[in-house]
Amino acid sequence: MRSSWLIAAMVFGILGSTALEDGTGRELKLDARAPEGPYRGGRQAPDAGEIISAAQQAFYAAGTDMSARVQMVLASKEGRTRERELTMFRKNFAAGEQRYYIYFHRPSDVRGTTFMVWKYPERDDDRWIYVPAINLVRRIAADDARSSFVGSDFNYEDISGRDVSADEHRILREDTLNSRSVFVVESRPVRSADYVQKLSWIDKTTRLPLREEYYDVQGALYRVFTSDEIREVEAGPAGVATVVKRTMKNVKTGHRTEVTFSEVAYNVGIGDDLFTESSLRRPPRRWIR
Amino acid sequence: MNPLTAFAIRYPWQVLVLATVVTAFFGWQFRAIKIDTDPENMLEASQPDRVVYDAVKKDFGIKDLLVVGVVDEAGIFRPDPLRRVARLTERITAIPGVIIDDMVSLTTTDDITLDGGLLHIGPVMPKAPESSEEAESLRTRISTNPLLAEKLASSDGTAIAIYIPIERKDQSYRISREIERLAQEELAPGQQLYLAGLPVAEDTFGHEMFREMGVTAPLVGLVIFLLLWALFRRVRLIVPAMVVAMFSVVWAMGALIGLGYTVHIMSSMIPVFLMPIAVLDAVHLLSEFYDRYPAVRDRAAALRVSMDELFRPMLYTSITTSVGFASLALADIPPVRVFGVFVAIGILTAWILTITVIPAGIMLVKKEHLESISRGEKGRLGAWPRWLERFGARVFRRAGPVVAGTLVLVVVGVIGVSRIVVNDNPVSWFRPGEPVRVADRVMNRLFGGTYMAYLVAAGEGEEPIKDPAVMAHLDQLGRHLEGLPQVGKVTSIADIVRRTNYLLRGGDPAYDAVPNDREAIGQVLFLVQSSGDPNELDNFIDYDGRQANLWVQMRSGDNRDMEAVAASVREFSEASASGLKFQWSGLTYINKVWQDLMVVGMLRAVLGSFLVVLLLMIFLFRSIPLGFVSMIPLTLAILLSYALVGFIGKDYDMPIAVCSSLSLGLAIDFAIHFVHRYRNHVSETGDLGRANRAIFGLPARAIVRNALVIIVGFLPLTVSKLTPYVTVGLFFAALMTFSALATLVVLPGLMRVAGARLFRRELALRAAEAGL
Repeated sequence: MRSSWLIAAMVFGILGSTALEDGTGRELKLDARAPEGPYRGGRQAPDAGEIISAAQQAFYAAGTDMSARVQMVLASKEGRTRERELTMFRKNFAAGEQRYYIYFHRPSDVRGTTFMVWKYPERDDDRWIYVPAINLVRRIAADDARSSFVGSDFNYEDISGRDVSADEHRILREDTLNSRSVFVVESRPVRSADYVQKLSWIDKTTRLPLREEYYDVQGALYRVFTSDEIREVEAGPAGVATVVKRTMKNVKTGHRTEVTFSEVAYNVGIGDDLFTESSLRRPPRRWIR
Repeated sequence: MNPLTAFAIRYPWQVLVLATVVTAFFGWQFRAIKIDTDPENMLEASQPDRVVYDAVKKDFGIKDLLVVGVVDEAGIFRPDPLRRVARLTERITAIPGVIIDDMVSLTTTDDITLDGGLLHIGPVMPKAPESSEEAESLRTRISTNPLLAEKLASSDGTAIAIYIPIERKDQSYRISREIERLAQEELAPGQQLYLAGLPVAEDTFGHEMFREMGVTAPLVGLVIFLLLWALFRRVRLIVPAMVVAMFSVVWAMGALIGLGYTVHIMSSMIPVFLMPIAVLDAVHLLSEFYDRYPAVRDRAAALRVSMDELFRPMLYTSITTSVGFASLALADIPPVRVFGVFVAIGILTAWILTITVIPAGIMLVKKEHLESISRGEKGRLGAWPRWLERFGARVFRRAGPVVAGTLVLVVVGVIGVSRIVVNDNPVSWFRPGEPVRVADRVMNRLFGGTYMAYLVAAGEGEEPIKDPAVMAHLDQLGRHLEGLPQVGKVTSIADIVRRTNYLLRGGDPAYDAVPNDREAIGQVLFLVQSSGDPNELDNFIDYDGRQANLWVQMRSGDNRDMEAVAASVREFSEASASGLKFQWSGLTYINKVWQDLMVVGMLRAVLGSFLVVLLLMIFLFRSIPLGFVSMIPLTLAILLSYALVGFIGKDYDMPIAVCSSLSLGLAIDFAIHFVHRYRNHVSETGDLGRANRAIFGLPARAIVRNALVIIVGFLPLTVSKLTPYVTVGLFFAALMTFSALATLVVLPGLMRVAGARLFRRELALRAAEAGL
């Protein structure tokens, strides 16, 4: 009975082939060690770190590349809102590296602003911003875990993933959430970070995180991530389970950010030349409408 | 005689048991005590400035701030002290109630720096430097960044500041204690920790206040007890007076708590105010009884005679004092209203208890114990009654100079009052040596000000704040404010835009300005939002870009200084016609608002109660001229007390304002006793001189005894750590002295000069009787 573990492995194997070839084959090993189907506690416990790796793979790196139109609503506790609308491109490169290209449509005064992120698995990203009003590209160095993504409740780590080895992981229990079976994994940072504890509810089938809770040094819950809508997106013969609606809520301030992905497409054949300074200045017509 | 006293004389045990049961009922209410130490509650929740402040807090995510300073005289920019500061900061974040995201410190606040072409965004000090060169370069980096200089580090390089936002103001005391404990563990000897900021001062005041209450109120009780003993030397006679005082406090406080009111800074002072006032009637009654008993040698009869003499003046003094306090109900400050009303209730309670419990208590004292009063009474009283009599005769003889001197004093009083400066600052509610005061002085010398005030600028139209002209105006306004001596540092959205623009352009001084293009401003702001803490910008610009919030750090929390800064902004904005509307808020400003209200409210209360007391006097004496005459000593006493405030240069602050309305009700007492009994004697004797002699017997002794009770009774307040208590204690001592003197000096003189007219009816009646 090679149920969901293997099915999941096949999905990754087929759809995420580039990523897997690029040295993320750990998931396969994990799957191979679980021939009996879902983990039932006790025997042959899957490694918590590998579950997190698989989740990151499913969440941040599905396909060889991906493009989407993203709508963000930043809402204050009092219900006041700000909107962001952007087109995002992501392409996976060798050794777990990724590149992102982001074009802003709204708010209107930043229209034409572009962002580029070169993501490395074990060190801070390189980022570039193009500011059209002064026709200038600047490279920015910043701490991913600390810097907000465009003023939202998501930081750069939430957008592009956190180094798996930066935390120690432990499976707390198995559970069901929204009638899906999940692993509840606890992660504790090795070095001091904004959170001291993070709990993740990871869907056993899709490997997608359904919920995450972050606890601060005071032991208080301060951020909650939820996957609000998951949809199969066509990509070749099978689909990729994709979180198309997600929310990050700051429990302490009541501020939250809702993100909606539309026009999601995988394996669209994005060229490397999109991720260059000249594309920042002159967004290619082919990709940006 | 009044039926209440008659009842008490007949059923003394029953009266005492009943009084005790009722007191137990009120005492039982104490279990539900709710304490409120927030000075913001000095304002009605619906008061416009408070509504604005609440909105500003919400719109800009502003929290109350504690400001921690770590000082190392040998220089803080060395690896070891910086390591300690970093560790201290990290441990402070773990204190519950601290808002981690918004902490401003070396390790939590982001700094944008240029590194070749690279914009580096990260904490000012990601980790403590390893070498002294690194530490030195950190110092330079901070002192050359206008957003950080004098905010995170002092310009002399000896101190680091940490700004700690907290969830609720009433946690400041607990959190500040916690920080002190951590500092003891983390800091090296020779390194000092200072805790400043209004929330600390205010919450610490609240805590100190309740501790002081536990010490001061019993101390006041003890001092009154000792004083009464010195005056009467009969424990059995004093105990009922003390019981009256304590029962009144329990009734008033029990009623306050039982009716669901919170015990606020003001109401915590009720016991201390009430106790000396509550024993006043008791002292009059005991004094009278004490002097009459030897002649009558019958408890009930002596009580009856005393009560006949005293019932009306006691009732009227109680009513007038209550009216003085109750007039506080006209104030716009809820805790002041509660305070006034319940002190008034306490005073009326004290009156009822005085005319019942004291007679009942006396009835239960065995006759043998009273015998000693008659024996050797004259000798034991010593020389002061005779001295008082001579004094009375002298002022009566020299009526002319007395009246002339009074007029001179009025002039002096007016001059003194005109020199009064209205000003207050909650930090000055602590004595100069107290840690809160020391921290305030040190921190405001080293840094750009620990008193937060917020100036909100609102414009019209679509995102007006992002307009280049508006941005430039805010920038100029910030520089203008920083030019004022009362202001330390000012931070606005314009400073952030300007600094980011400068760095974005590669540190070119030509671009050290706000961009003059709307899109560029929008995009610079977008860059800021995309780099650091997303909440940071929210502190300075609202969601719709309609309002900007300037953080004005003031070096002083004096209302006077806040007023001056606000006036300067008014001038500046009128001159520049920016189209922006300005609105102040923040704790420093809120304090100014309620203290303004307090001054106006108190003035209104004083004038109101002056009128009511005057009408009461006219009604009591059934004579308009006598009503006015009886107001003279208290007017003079109040005038001179405030002149004293003006001459010694003491600010007219919250405690002084509170005193003003109370003083009226207290200062009238002596005049009531004087005039009422003077007239009785005039009716009896038909001679002003003989009436004067009679007054300077028993009534004058009671007045002097009472003045002593108040003066000495309030004296324990002067040893308090908290200056409002000291002020109240000293002010009342001065007021009572002036009031007793004005009554015993000015009234006899006036009677001599105007008595023939004032008592025309009585004198005519007496003459008619004599002629028969």
